[in-house]
Amino acid sequence: MTTTTVHAPATPMRRILNIVRLHLANPWTTIILPWVILGIIFAGTLAVWALILSVASDTADARDGLQYSGSNFFIFVYMLVVAVQAISITFPFALGFGVTRRDFYLGSALTFVLLSAAYSVALTILSLIEEATNGWGIGAQMFTTFYFGETPAERLLVFFLAFLFFFFVGAAAASVWVRWKATGLVMFFIIIGLGLIGLVALIFFAQGWPAVGEFFATAGLVGSMLWSLVITAIAGVTGFFLMRRATPTA
Amino acid sequence: MDESRPIFTQIAEQIENDIITGVMAEESQVPSINEIAVFYRINPATALKGVNLLVDDGAIYKKRGIGMFVASGARERLVQQRREQFPVDFIRPLIAEAMKLGITADQLTAMLTKEGTP
Amino acid sequence: MTTIIEVSNLTKNFGKLAAVDNVSFSIEENTICGLLGRNGAGKTTLMQLLTGQQFATSGDINVFGQSPVENASVLQNISFIKESQRYPEDFRAKHVFKSAPWFFANWDADFAERLIADFRLPLDRKIKKLSRGQLSSIGVIVGLASRAPLTFFDEPYLGLDAVARQIFYDRLLEDYAEHPRTIVLSTHLIDEVANLLEHVIVIDDGQIIIDETADELRGSATAVVGPSGAVDAFIGNREVLHRDGIGGLASVTIAGLTSTERADAAASGLELSPVSLQQLIIRRTNLTELGGNEKEIEARA
Repeated sequence: MTTTTVHAPATPMRRILNIVRLHLANPWTTIILPWVILGIIFAGTLAVWALILSVASDTADARDGLQYSGSNFFIFVYMLVVAVQAISITFPFALGFGVTRRDFYLGSALTFVLLSAAYSVALTILSLIEEATNGWGIGAQMFTTFYFGETPAERLLVFFLAFLFFFFVGAAAASVWVRWKATGLVMFFIIIGLGLIGLVALIFFAQGWPAVGEFFATAGLVGSMLWSLVITAIAGVTGFFLMRRATPTA
Repeated sequence: MDESRPIFTQIAEQIENDIITGVMAEESQVPSINEIAVFYRINPATALKGVNLLVDDGAIYKKRGIGMFVASGARERLVQQRREQFPVDFIRPLIAEAMKLGITADQLTAMLTKEGTP
Repeated sequence: MTTIIEVSNLTKNFGKLAAVDNVSFSIEENTICGLLGRNGAGKTTLMQLLTGQQFATSGDINVFGQSPVENASVLQNISFIKESQRYPEDFRAKHVFKSAPWFFANWDADFAERLIADFRLPLDRKIKKLSRGQLSSIGVIVGLASRAPLTFFDEPYLGLDAVARQIFYDRLLEDYAEHPRTIVLSTHLIDEVANLLEHVIVIDDGQIIIDETADELRGSATAVVGPSGAVDAFIGNREVLHRDGIGGLASVTIAGLTSTERADAAASGLELSPVSLQQLIIRRTNLTELGGNEKEIEARA
């Protein structure tokens, strides 16, 4: 007969890493499925483009069109959904495993940072391949589109910042949901909507549009993206404080 | 298990029955508390309480680190106790039922003789 | 005996509703405690408070000597199995059993495998596609195989059939005997678990109305059945827990009797019938709900 042992707490880092492992326990959602979808979109887009090129009379004009593809945006929105699910559904599950809210949130945040890093590196590598193969042989720009940045280093940074943005905004919205359910979420969007309208109105009445344009022009793509870190950070910190008082059934 | 009485007294009675009928011979080992608990599907604490009734009574003794054993002479003493309790537990209810049905003492005696020679 | 859970003057309000209303109790280490009561009585809220999942409105909770709220050293020794546990999107049962050992230091993988076979749980099917009973069996397996020093089962077996429930009780008892730990079991199937329990806490309308050892409770009531006159004569001034009658016959539940009293009752032609834990709890629950009313009605009658 052996009495079950009461264990001393695992180190904080170990506990946080366990949450990372928990989020990645089923690689299907976070790793496999997004690549499957991306692969299908990639193959589909290339096929369509190849078709266009083969029938286009004015190839120069057609080639111009190959430089803009919005299809890769899906992966950022997908990661927003991943963050929403990680916070809203995995949270009550993790509590049953004796996890603290603090460890859960920090572990989730670390997961988001790691996934952002991994995905931005992977997309950057794809962009390098795209450059090396002269746009997959047909001059296509899936991963080197100008709004991702000029150089590989810029693209790496833009991808990374964009992933962080979508992960943490998703996490913050999900935290609002966990705390106050639908009512909270509606209020949340109303407040954000009103804030945006207010901001636009303010700029409009102050006749500040040229200044805004100038700001983005001066900041450039990378500079503007770096400013997104402010929103990402606010979302991240908000999520933390909301989740610290969250309960599994509100 | 009879719901109306504490389970530990019923466990003690079960073991007593096994000792009286010879299923558990004197000086033989009694099943462990956990075995009793799992067999009767009861809480081990309840099983322990039941067994302790018999330990206090002297019917069972513990050997440290080895287990529990039926004491010698336990059977004889238990039989004696049960005999003393017999009128209260069996005869009185029998008489009460007989009176309800209007069975006389003579009729009852006749029935007892007829129903079986132990 | 070491006290593992100590609660004093605990209250949890949801708006105006007091889900848990100023309760105090304690639970000893290495016991199986039944937390019983009707649906909505406050069982789940109480367990969520004990596991730090809810925040108390007022009062004190000590688990392993400390507050459980956001306390990793307390919480990692707790396994809390809920009736309607949600699982991460696209999880399969195998993912649950893969991740559980990361959080439970005492996790026994062999035991988990045996239980998976016992419950015939498909590991590779998506959890969303499992039946209600299979879903429950995941929780039951986690709760048993985690061997946490403090395990809560909150109505763990919705959808499990009688056979599967018996497997659960048997494995629980066997493993508890081998590896004693503190188990708090909440259920409305009182008769099924009655013999497993050492300690019974009954909560009703947010308040604790029974907090006794199972043995005390079981011996605490008997139903006396017979002609009304004879029954009334026998019960005298005893407190009546419940009274039923048909024609001239009365069935009255009263506090437990000594063996001499039982013999007297038999001698006066009265029948004594057992009161199961379940019936007893129903009687006592009704009593508190009707409050003084019932006594008033009886007095007038």
